[in-house]
Amino acid sequence: MIDKTSSEIAVQASRHPHISKTSLWLKKGVPTGALVVLALFPLLQIAFDGYNYWLHMLLYVFLYVIMATSWNLIGGYAGYISLGHNVFFGIGAYLSGMVFVFFQISPFLTAPITGLIAMLGGLLFGLIALRTRGSTFIISTIALVLLVTELLDNWKLTGGTNGLPMSMITLEGQYAKIPYYYYLLVIMVLSIFTSYLIRHSKFGLGLRAISQDEIKTEVAGIPTRRYKILAFGISGLFIGMAGAIWGSYLTYLRPSIFLPVNIGTTIVLMAILGGKGTVSGPAIGAAIMIAVNEFVVAKLGATELNIVVTGLILILVLLYFPEGIVGTLKAKNLLPSFLDWG
Amino acid sequence: MGTLVVENIVAGYGSGPNILRGLSLTIEAGKTYCIIGPNGAGKSTLVKVIAGLLKPREGRIMYKGEPINGLRADQVLQRGICYVPSDRSLFPDMTVKENLRMGGYILRNSSLVEKRIEQIFIQFPILKEKRSQMAKTLSGGQQQLTSIARAMVLKPELIMLDEPSLGLAPKVVQQIFGTIAILRDQGLTILLVEQNARKGLENADQGVVLDLGMNSFERPAVEVLHDPRIQELYLGKRSRPLQAEAAQ
Amino acid sequence: MIQIIQVLILGLALGGVYALMSSGMTLIFGVMRIVNLAHAAFIIMAAYISFWLFKVWRVDPIVSMAVTMPVMFLVGVLYYRVLFASRADNPRFTDITVLVTFASALVIEGVLSYLFTGIYRSTSPVYATRPFLIGPFFVPQSQVYATLISIALIVSLWLFLQYTRVGNAIRATMQNRNSAQVVGVNVALVSMLSFGIGLAMAGAAGSLLSFIFTFFPSKHVAWIGMLMSLVVLGGMGSLMGAMLSSFLLAVIASYVSFYWGPTWAPITFYLALFLILLFRPQGLLGKKMDG
Repeated sequence: MIDKTSSEIAVQASRHPHISKTSLWLKKGVPTGALVVLALFPLLQIAFDGYNYWLHMLLYVFLYVIMATSWNLIGGYAGYISLGHNVFFGIGAYLSGMVFVFFQISPFLTAPITGLIAMLGGLLFGLIALRTRGSTFIISTIALVLLVTELLDNWKLTGGTNGLPMSMITLEGQYAKIPYYYYLLVIMVLSIFTSYLIRHSKFGLGLRAISQDEIKTEVAGIPTRRYKILAFGISGLFIGMAGAIWGSYLTYLRPSIFLPVNIGTTIVLMAILGGKGTVSGPAIGAAIMIAVNEFVVAKLGATELNIVVTGLILILVLLYFPEGIVGTLKAKNLLPSFLDWG
Repeated sequence: MGTLVVENIVAGYGSGPNILRGLSLTIEAGKTYCIIGPNGAGKSTLVKVIAGLLKPREGRIMYKGEPINGLRADQVLQRGICYVPSDRSLFPDMTVKENLRMGGYILRNSSLVEKRIEQIFIQFPILKEKRSQMAKTLSGGQQQLTSIARAMVLKPELIMLDEPSLGLAPKVVQQIFGTIAILRDQGLTILLVEQNARKGLENADQGVVLDLGMNSFERPAVEVLHDPRIQELYLGKRSRPLQAEAAQ
Repeated sequence: MIQIIQVLILGLALGGVYALMSSGMTLIFGVMRIVNLAHAAFIIMAAYISFWLFKVWRVDPIVSMAVTMPVMFLVGVLYYRVLFASRADNPRFTDITVLVTFASALVIEGVLSYLFTGIYRSTSPVYATRPFLIGPFFVPQSQVYATLISIALIVSLWLFLQYTRVGNAIRATMQNRNSAQVVGVNVALVSMLSFGIGLAMAGAAGSLLSFIFTFFPSKHVAWIGMLMSLVVLGGMGSLMGAMLSSFLLAVIASYVSFYWGPTWAPITFYLALFLILLFRPQGLLGKKMDG
């Protein structure tokens, strides 16, 4: 509530036309420029080939930006930490994947509907689980992931732990990744834009008030329960869609791909590292973590150490850097304006 | 003798603002002091600082000529200074007797503790009667009594009571002040923090008025009780304009 | 009928070990309000110590408790000192510790996978494969030993808490931290000791389950789910509650496993956890985790 709303910024901008013109230009120009570069990047692959590795890495970044940004809606804004957000990822992948296997309808078509169903699942889970708070809530999210994992592990229709192969018709190697790339890019932009809109709305204000003091917020007449449940549901929407696309990108469904707890933890880490409760933080955290992970794998070659690095960074960030990159820079007034989206 | 001298104490919680802002106070042995003041004046903070539960940011506290600020709570207890918190916080799933035993925790001599508990049982028969009852099943007044008795196990020289009458029925308040009178008769130095300023002052030798984390003044309790400014501010006797407002 | 009783016996024979596994976790929560999600990982760490001692020097896993318990005690003291000691008065302490302990579990998992690979392990003393036969019933010797030792350890812990000075200080701190401070209990020291004792129990549990279950580094995820269900059902911080829920759920899981197959047994625990959290978060005999 201490932070400025966009209208206040606009008022200030009109008061200081000289300073704010360049800063407003930077604020809008840099993200737009970055988006144009990302949108044009696949042309390199189409023209010259040999960029598939980079497309793959960017796909990873998009996926985790979507997940961390979505997590932030409930975990960052409202302060309800979920360690099980990859449940939506699994739900999305399995729903669209099964529709494809049994009815041959492309996940590209069903992804939005899958996202909506994931959101519905989120609303439903939120309806019961959000009556608890603090550590009880965190534990209930872990319980959810474990429960869904066990169910999928035992479900014969989806092949249990062995999983379900999806015989996708794919483009030839040079172009194969491009449709996925654009699809995830669009979901990512939508998720960040949604986060931005919520951050600057009355709804977002209410969520952030909940994270400060829920009882006072409720006394102030804000329907806290409805807000929390809605935020939890919306946070499932884009992750569910991304899950549908990711399932078809991998052409294989298996609980151990989508539901391991360390995915849920990684999402939390990314959002907190970047700055929970900020719009750009989770995206930045996701990009940095994937770069770090890739570096660790390339340098040390051992995937076991991957999880050690994730765990250690999470501990250090939680204890010594809880405001994250964006939060800390903002507090010190060092945040470049093009990253300050609220 | 056992004089407690508080010098220029500055204190607050966590990274929060200063609650006490350079407070000084001298507590002479054998007297009963009643500290009054509005909410947020730092009354409870003061006793917590003396008890070693909160480290002061500045200033020092001398007891019998030795500094005691910076000591841990158990070390302050060792010097004979006991604190009875305002929320009557007992150990809810322990019996009354176990609670009293915990009062003697810092004494490693358990037969001495048992002997003192027996003495307390003679002094307060109700506690003997309830000795094997869980603390959480006691009434508010009984809990307060147990809480005071728990401090008495150490035979302190100075006892600090933080709002002993808080949330108790008038009749029970009367009983608690009766207990405090017994402590006075035993020659203990008593530091009493009271929201119920009239009752507190009536039962004290000296009155101390705290405001904004500093002591406004210290006088004999009777004088404070009859000071018109104090009556107006803390003793419920309103000046005319206020009454006029209320009438409208 | 014989089968029904047989399944009951097998369930009860596991209950003791579950109780030992959860006792340390519930103690740590009771004293410090730390939900130790690394508890299962620490148990597995101890199981690997027993495994290593067995493999290299043929040390009997029950005997190796003499190593795992003190070692894990020290690990617990250090772990608490380094990560939590200075943060106990942070208002978000419980939330932070949930994440920190979970992250620690991942670190332990990674290190164990690096040292021992992901292969399924277990120790194999002679009694590991022999059953006791009582009339028409059988029960594996390993489970009988493990459960009896577990119960002995829990009773010792209970006696320690009830009748020693330090034990009383621990109980007092569990019931009212402020009040414990007021009577002169050094709560920082008590917290550190309790973490050590909690992990010493985890150490004992690790040694015992090294010969009744197979384990691998990432197994802690499944077990922490199970432990949480036991601890939460029993009431966080209640030793008796953890004991009760351990036997209860062990028996239920035993029946589920018998009628629907062993792969469904974990679901019993997760579903129980889920339902308790949502409908009776204070558990059978405890208090709510947060207001």
